[in-house]
Amino acid sequence: MAILLLCGSRIFAQNVNGDKYVMRSTLLGTGLSNVFDTYLSPLEYKGLELRFMHERMRMTGVMNGKVSTQSVVQLNLAYTKNVSKTAKSYAGMFNWTYAMHYQYKVNNDLKLLFGPMLDVNAGFVYNTRNSNNPAQAKAYVSFDASAMAIYKFRIKHCPMTVRYQINLPVLGIAFSPEYGQSYYELFSLGHGGRNVLFTSFHNAPSFRQILTLDFPVGKSVIRTGYLCDIQQFKLNNLKSHMYSHNFMIGFVRSFYMISGKSRNRVSESFNPF
Amino acid sequence: MLNKYLIRIFAVIFMVPFMSCIREDVSGNDPYANFESLWKIIDEQYCFLDYKKSEYGLDWNEVHERYSKRISPDMTQYNLFEVLSDMVNELRDGHVNLGSGIATSQYREWFDAYPRNFSDSIQGNYLGKDYKITSGLVYQILENNIGYIYCSSFSDGIGEGNLDYMFKALELCDGIIIDVRNNGGGNLTTAHKLASRFTNEKKLVGYMSYKSGPGHNDFSKPESVFIEPSNGIRWQKKAVVIANRRSYSSTNDFVNIMKQLPNVTIIGDKTGGGSGLPFSSEIPNGWSIRFSASPMFDSDMNQLEFGIEPDIKIDMLESDIIKGKDTIIEESCTFLKKK
Repeated sequence: MAILLLCGSRIFAQNVNGDKYVMRSTLLGTGLSNVFDTYLSPLEYKGLELRFMHERMRMTGVMNGKVSTQSVVQLNLAYTKNVSKTAKSYAGMFNWTYAMHYQYKVNNDLKLLFGPMLDVNAGFVYNTRNSNNPAQAKAYVSFDASAMAIYKFRIKHCPMTVRYQINLPVLGIAFSPEYGQSYYELFSLGHGGRNVLFTSFHNAPSFRQILTLDFPVGKSVIRTGYLCDIQQFKLNNLKSHMYSHNFMIGFVRSFYMISGKSRNRVSESFNPF
Repeated sequence: MLNKYLIRIFAVIFMVPFMSCIREDVSGNDPYANFESLWKIIDEQYCFLDYKKSEYGLDWNEVHERYSKRISPDMTQYNLFEVLSDMVNELRDGHVNLGSGIATSQYREWFDAYPRNFSDSIQGNYLGKDYKITSGLVYQILENNIGYIYCSSFSDGIGEGNLDYMFKALELCDGIIIDVRNNGGGNLTTAHKLASRFTNEKKLVGYMSYKSGPGHNDFSKPESVFIEPSNGIRWQKKAVVIANRRSYSSTNDFVNIMKQLPNVTIIGDKTGGGSGLPFSSEIPNGWSIRFSASPMFDSDMNQLEFGIEPDIKIDMLESDIIKGKDTIIEESCTFLKKK
């Protein structure tokens, strides 16, 4: 957290031309979801998922302009059923990540990025059949290690960019009811417990990874990708996971920001991506 | 040098997708897997195993041994449902229900083995035809100027405004009867809302705890449950709560609260109990299982699972039933009329 705040202050302290350039992408995706929470059921629920993802990257003046920031907002909704199709559940998650990546340029085509990330999540799983445990609230914040590889190449003069990114939660806090604690006790009676817990690899071995390919179509840049979102917890003797495998597609736009308005196409030398 | 470190960092990060998965060990969907899954859910999450061991000798491990012999790989779904229903009925708990497409199991001894102590046709003789209904509460002023309120369920919410109008309508009565016979429960918050009309001060009425782990003795420290006075119209005269064996679950909790209030007397039969807040789960074939998960106690930390004794025990008499009279309502009126 301190690193992020320190770096954040540096962004505002310095202002080189590069930090005005912004890469934005908006993707929509669909795929398979596997939702499991022993607070609701010992069974895994599987079904379809829809996902929205908005990403924003820009260079900063930190470390002689070698650090970029990345902000990603994701929203996903899943409709799942148990294996015998006798019960269904709905799940929704909001995720916001903010990362600061040191950009190491291996050569003109390959960049490796790595750095800390703030990862904020909130959502729910609602099982339509349950009585006093119909839903589980999801709320967790973590500091992640994030790494990315960006490789640019051409196929018959057509510029392409492939990117692989992985985010690994290292340390965080998460909300969880106790093993058999009802939300009636938590919120109506105000009976507490160990409801906010520290998380790390031992009880939250999670990660998100995305592989994208950017290619031009006319004057636009299209981005397609595969997103694998693995969120797992073992808290208060309750096990849970949300596995998502999504195919994503959308577009990429790069801007030069002046008072919130775009002016030019981004220069390659300042391109954060 | 930097390259070397970078390669190491990325090698570690790329290994992440091969980390261990967090899943539940639910293997298969055959009769034995479903039996094991159901037994395990109760073993780890049911909240009265030790209490019932002390009350009537329930041994859940012995239950496993006995019922596993009735499971065979080629048994039909009907047979499996019958065996599993019998197994969960060993818990003697009306909150335990195995739900399937075939049927829903229910343990009924908690009321079937006792007098019914309620007749809606006889109740009709007291309500007449000009009774009022508000928020699911039926009320009438009886001929002897006793207010009579019948609450058949706590499943639907009761509005504060509805309660105000009802108590305003009954304000000149000499006493009031709240009849919760055959009320199988509903929302605890609704039961508390009605009870809050009968106290002028915040009062400790019980305790509640929850399972903190899968062990039979893994419970949180019981925490106090209070009833707080309503800001609306509160009843200041004598009141009687009429209960029978079918007064169950959150109605059991309502009776527990009312029994501890100074102007309130419980008349009729012992309640049915059901003091465990029910949770739901399921087994691999998709059948649902509801079970008691969080135990509630009275203010002296006594278990309420098997019911609450009335202050005055009265059963409906056959001689009164023939005359179309409700012995319990009659005795309640007599009690309220006493100075």
